[in-house]
Amino acid sequence: MQHTLNITTRNEASVVERLLQVTRYRGYQLAGLAMTPLTDRAGLQITLTVQSEKPITLLTSQLVKLYDVQQLELASADVAVLRA
Amino acid sequence: MKGAELVLKVLQQQGVDTIFGYPGGAIMPIYDAIYHSTVKHYLCRHEQGGAFSAIGYARASGKVGVCLATSGPGATNLITSLADALLDSVPLVAITGQVSQAVMGTDAFQEVDVLGLSLGVTKHSFMVRDVNELAHTLQEAFRLAQSGRPGPVLVDIPKDIQLAEVSEPEWPTLPAARLATSLANAAKARQLIAQAKKPIAYIGGGVQMADALPQLQAFLAESEMPSVTTLKGMGSVARANPHYLGMLGMHGTQAANLAVQQCDLLICLGARFDDRVTGKLDKFAPHAKVIHVDIDPAEINKVRFADCALLGDMKQILPAISTATQCADWLTHCQQLKQQYGWRYDHPGERIFAPLMLKQLSERMPDNSVVCCDVGQHQMWVAQHMRFNSPRNHLSSGGLGTMGFGLPAAIGAKLARPQDTVIAVSGDGSFMMNVQELGTIKRFRLPVKIVIIDNQRLGMVKQWQQLFFNERYSETDLSDNPDFVALAAAFAIPGHTITRKDEVASALEAMFSWPGPYLLHVRIDEKDNVWPLVPPGAANEDMLTETN
Ligand SMILES: Cc1ncc(C[n+]2csc(CCOP(=O)(O)OP(=O)(O)O)c2C)c(N)n1
Ligand SMILES: [Mg+2]
Repeated sequence: MQHTLNITTRNEASVVERLLQVTRYRGYQLAGLAMTPLTDRAGLQITLTVQSEKPITLLTSQLVKLYDVQQLELASADVAVLRA
Repeated sequence: MKGAELVLKVLQQQGVDTIFGYPGGAIMPIYDAIYHSTVKHYLCRHEQGGAFSAIGYARASGKVGVCLATSGPGATNLITSLADALLDSVPLVAITGQVSQAVMGTDAFQEVDVLGLSLGVTKHSFMVRDVNELAHTLQEAFRLAQSGRPGPVLVDIPKDIQLAEVSEPEWPTLPAARLATSLANAAKARQLIAQAKKPIAYIGGGVQMADALPQLQAFLAESEMPSVTTLKGMGSVARANPHYLGMLGMHGTQAANLAVQQCDLLICLGARFDDRVTGKLDKFAPHAKVIHVDIDPAEINKVRFADCALLGDMKQILPAISTATQCADWLTHCQQLKQQYGWRYDHPGERIFAPLMLKQLSERMPDNSVVCCDVGQHQMWVAQHMRFNSPRNHLSSGGLGTMGFGLPAAIGAKLARPQDTVIAVSGDGSFMMNVQELGTIKRFRLPVKIVIIDNQRLGMVKQWQQLFFNERYSETDLSDNPDFVALAAAFAIPGHTITRKDEVASALEAMFSWPGPYLLHVRIDEKDNVWPLVPPGAANEDMLTETN
């Protein structure tokens, strides 16, 4: 199954590494990644696409714990805001 | 003032009076500030040891542990301890010096990408880039280390930031961490509990960490049901509770494991279905519905589906799910299991039987003693045969299982609770992994009691080789151990060796009546193994015992 996550984060140098580290460690395969600074440069808009047979909530529940993650929503069929 | 002085100011402002560390080039400005500070610094002899002392301090007291290291090798030496704190959810703030920003990224002397290394072993890590953000970053590190599920937070501070001038900031009082607790599922939980015929409470380290031990006793009293604990939960259930069955899992009691396998409702309180607890996962508590109470949403449904989950503050949740049960037959059955499978301490011959010796130690040690363990057979014997009245009194490296934990953790525990007796129970293998911390004990004359259970083996590995690798004892022989009593003597620590059962009582007496640090070297038979044991890949009811 492929899932796309729309993530808003702080604009910190290590953010992308942190997202990728958790994604790899929890056993999800990276299928796509895009990143743009928000217009005020205070944050980043990151789109992460992953592939796995595991339920996606096992990844999102770990990603939302990251200090730099401000908002995360699942942009696949069932759009669910996991953290407002 | 300088950034370095501000670091010490923030520590004071956070109520920190004890820190552990080791100096070096990139953290010298902070050590210069320590020179004049009232914060007491304890020099360890290896950064791993210093960080374990900070962990011992934190676990024995409930406060945040703080450790310091220089850049490069100092920081890399911290990694194991950070991982230990992460897996056991210990609030720890690690401060590392970094090379100056002007040379960062050039492979400068003692430069290593500490932030990069920290990703997998911390709850979060900060790199300070502007001296005006230093105070706030450190405050945030303390807040984060303690909030929600606690854990280690690293702050990497380049040397130029430590040397930069900064004016003392206003100290904003940060709002206390808000803990969202949802009781929406409380009614459902009460219903599950009221309907259960065979309920059991499975208690982890999270209950004590939430400061909810009184609420736990009340819950167990009202919803009268049997209980089991994890390694980290040991000491949570009041000794007077008749329905406590002991530790579950790989080296748990037969009563605990069998009762959990038979239960129809498993109430998991601040625990996480670790594989050392569950054995073969799809055969774990196969008939049970699960109520899972935790502070970390990521633990819910991570390895075992929860029929009912409650997230947030254990102190609020336990009273909300407390309800009477109708399970007299089940209680009787569990009592029978407990009696049928009680520990036996008869052991032929004159040689010391470690389980019995540890039981004697447990009975002889003063109330509220802190026992710090290392890793291996001796660790499991401590968990099986010693009794504790709080998880703060049993410090064992659970999630990471780190050899070398015990001695430095005992140093931290003794500094956190100078009035209480602190005992490090170590193995002949583990002791050598942070033996240099005897130097810390010597310098500060810390009256830590050290008990080495010496089987001249890496016993736990040897046991697995015996059982699962056809007795090929690859690299587990330690029969050329050093003379441990002489080793202690080199650090001005008196000691004594015992080999026979009839020497145990008087040796314990001598150790406890000596006012200072003391090393008791206990020689045991290398053939003694830890029982029962759930073999890897087996279900928890398929325990091996000495006789099968
Ligand atoms: C740092 C580290 N390295 C290796 C291991 C693997 N290991 C687990 S128990 C054990 C043997 C420990 O020997 P000892 O301290 O003498 O304890 P015993 O089992 O003999 O009681 C080893 C090597 C570990 N847990 N930690
Ligand atoms: Mg040994």
